[in-house]
Amino acid sequence: MDALMTSVFGLWGPSIAKTFWILLKIVAVVLPLMISVAYLTYFERKVIGFMQVRIGPNRVGYFGLLQPIADALKLLFKEIILPTASNKVLFFLAPVLAIAPAFAAWAVIPFDLNLVIADIDASLLYILAMTSIAVYGVIIAGWASNSKYAFLGSLRSAAQIVSYEIAMGFTLVGVLMCANSLNLGKIVMGQAGGFWHWYVWPLFPLFIIYFISAVAETNRAPFDVAEGESEIVAGFHVEYSGMAFAVFFLAEYANMILVSMLAALMFLGGWLSPIPFIPDSFLWLLIKVAFLLFCFIWFRATFPRYRYDQIMRLGWKIFIPITIAWIVFIGGMMQTSWGYLFH
Amino acid sequence: MIKKTKQFLSSLMLIELLKGMLLTGRYFFARKITVQYPEEKTPQSNRFRGLHALRRYANGEERCIACKLCEAVCPAMAITIESEEREDKTRRTTRYDIDLTKCIFCGFCEESCPVDSIVETRILDYHGESRGDLIYTKEMLLAVGDKYEKQIAEDRAQDERYR
Amino acid sequence: MIEFKDFVFFVLSLVLIASGLSVITSRNPVTAALSLVLAFFNAAGIWLLLQAEFLAIALVLVYVGAVMVLFLFVVMMLDINLDKLREGFWDYLPMAGFIGILMMVEMVMVFKTKQFNLPPLSETLPNASNTELIGNTLYSDYVLPFELASVVLLIAIVSAIALTLRDRKDSKKTNPADQIAVKRKDRVRLVQMKSEEKYVKPKAKERT
Repeated sequence: MDALMTSVFGLWGPSIAKTFWILLKIVAVVLPLMISVAYLTYFERKVIGFMQVRIGPNRVGYFGLLQPIADALKLLFKEIILPTASNKVLFFLAPVLAIAPAFAAWAVIPFDLNLVIADIDASLLYILAMTSIAVYGVIIAGWASNSKYAFLGSLRSAAQIVSYEIAMGFTLVGVLMCANSLNLGKIVMGQAGGFWHWYVWPLFPLFIIYFISAVAETNRAPFDVAEGESEIVAGFHVEYSGMAFAVFFLAEYANMILVSMLAALMFLGGWLSPIPFIPDSFLWLLIKVAFLLFCFIWFRATFPRYRYDQIMRLGWKIFIPITIAWIVFIGGMMQTSWGYLFH
Repeated sequence: MIKKTKQFLSSLMLIELLKGMLLTGRYFFARKITVQYPEEKTPQSNRFRGLHALRRYANGEERCIACKLCEAVCPAMAITIESEEREDKTRRTTRYDIDLTKCIFCGFCEESCPVDSIVETRILDYHGESRGDLIYTKEMLLAVGDKYEKQIAEDRAQDERYR
Repeated sequence: MIEFKDFVFFVLSLVLIASGLSVITSRNPVTAALSLVLAFFNAAGIWLLLQAEFLAIALVLVYVGAVMVLFLFVVMMLDINLDKLREGFWDYLPMAGFIGILMMVEMVMVFKTKQFNLPPLSETLPNASNTELIGNTLYSDYVLPFELASVVLLIAIVSAIALTLRDRKDSKKTNPADQIAVKRKDRVRLVQMKSEEKYVKPKAKERT
């Protein structure tokens, strides 16, 4: 027995140490992420309040800064109600499936040149795969709740997510054509040398389409028919309460931060500073992500909800043709003498 | 054709969406009009219809004569009245309950009252902590009336010439 | 002695086999479909161990992210009576067993070929990006079959759309493109007209 133990630890020792180190890194990413998710909800309420000539939450703590914590506490102490004739296992699995991919995708996000948990070659593909899994949380939630509204909402949302993923995937094709790499770090480094080298400029239509698709992917207004409070009473998570609901909420906001992060990395030069002589830093990335998140909330405060057939039309009949046309255009231009503009 | 292309281009450039965002963007910096409730309050009309009260005459005699007009007129059937003859041979209520969870604050009871007994005051922020707390009995209503009589009388006096 | 990697492999394959079994044994079709998703995941994990990360991610992206979602869509909306489906189990068994054995024999034959005993990619080509290598071979050695496959897929897409593109005469569906194109001046007409005469109060007796 002793011999076995020593041989196991002799062989696995380094692996265990490595695993522990990786776990530490994961915590270092997930914890700030959770806090930023909490404060994104506060930020959203404040910004929307300001745009509606209100002042938003201001009672709990200075300027209402403790509001997200109060909300989290409230949700923690609420009862989780299990609907009758629901599928118990899947009902509790659904929120986990919703939030797991939203966090898993952060494994390959580079925060600086060497600041990344897993520097893999196909990181962009990995992120695409992870975001495509996120739909399961919604589908299973809708089905397991044994409720018509939840089911309708989940069907809507699943169809929407699958459709917009195609447009999103095509925009990423444009990026990797410019960057010649699937690695996010290399994509960022390909944009080095001032803001005029960023991929937004040659890929401007793709950037716009990526961002709008990202709004649709994350089920945010004006594409939030999956929730549709006014038509299907909050859609796929009608039957969820307490912490199970909070997990869905967290997943939505974590996804928002994730897609903004991706947009900042792929189109806006990530951690690179816009002007060459100012040093690059993680702060630039933060500023870019914060601006994109502000845009998310700005959209929500401005636009009324799309009708469902119009969402589908936008995705299939407008975004996908435009992206394909622009990819062909870029591919053609790269063969001409102006090709350097697109790299 | 020209109209169609123009429309196509403008929708492609997201012009209308940008206009909308500009509008909300401007309001982002506008002066906020929030009234911070417990510290600040919006002005109230003297005809405000809030919590009910039963009034008394200046000599301390309760006004209500148990005519039950308010009970009859109440569209939400929130009022329950029982009456008996008092020792001085006048008819008085023995029970006057208002279920405030039913009440819709229409003010019909106040208008139907021939002796200005049941009135609605300016009080809007009252609460109950358990079930049944919001069923106000005669004593409670009289207590409200006694406490706010000055305000109630002032409001009625201001409104006198329109009644 | 087993290494950590082997341990991971065994865990993945165990879950894979278990979920595969649950696909064919579970009573609820939705559970079966979800087990299939789990099976795909574990297969992708095993591919990752073989350093075929592109294939692994493509498996997740295509099968888990798209195909199985559509599967679930259908399965969730159908009201399937599984007991009825199971009725002819013993009748079908000989045929199914025969096909199963046939497939197994074929697989064993495939495993016997030389291609299955190649050393791992990382030993032959260190520092090679999986995606790049696959791209290079697809567009050089196998360009013709690859293009052919894409044409076949295109035909499949076009025919699938053609099959579903039937307009019913009594359909009351609207065209969102037309609806969006409508402007204010197409619908609203501003008319100039004289305002009404000023209201004169009829003479009445003094209120008593």
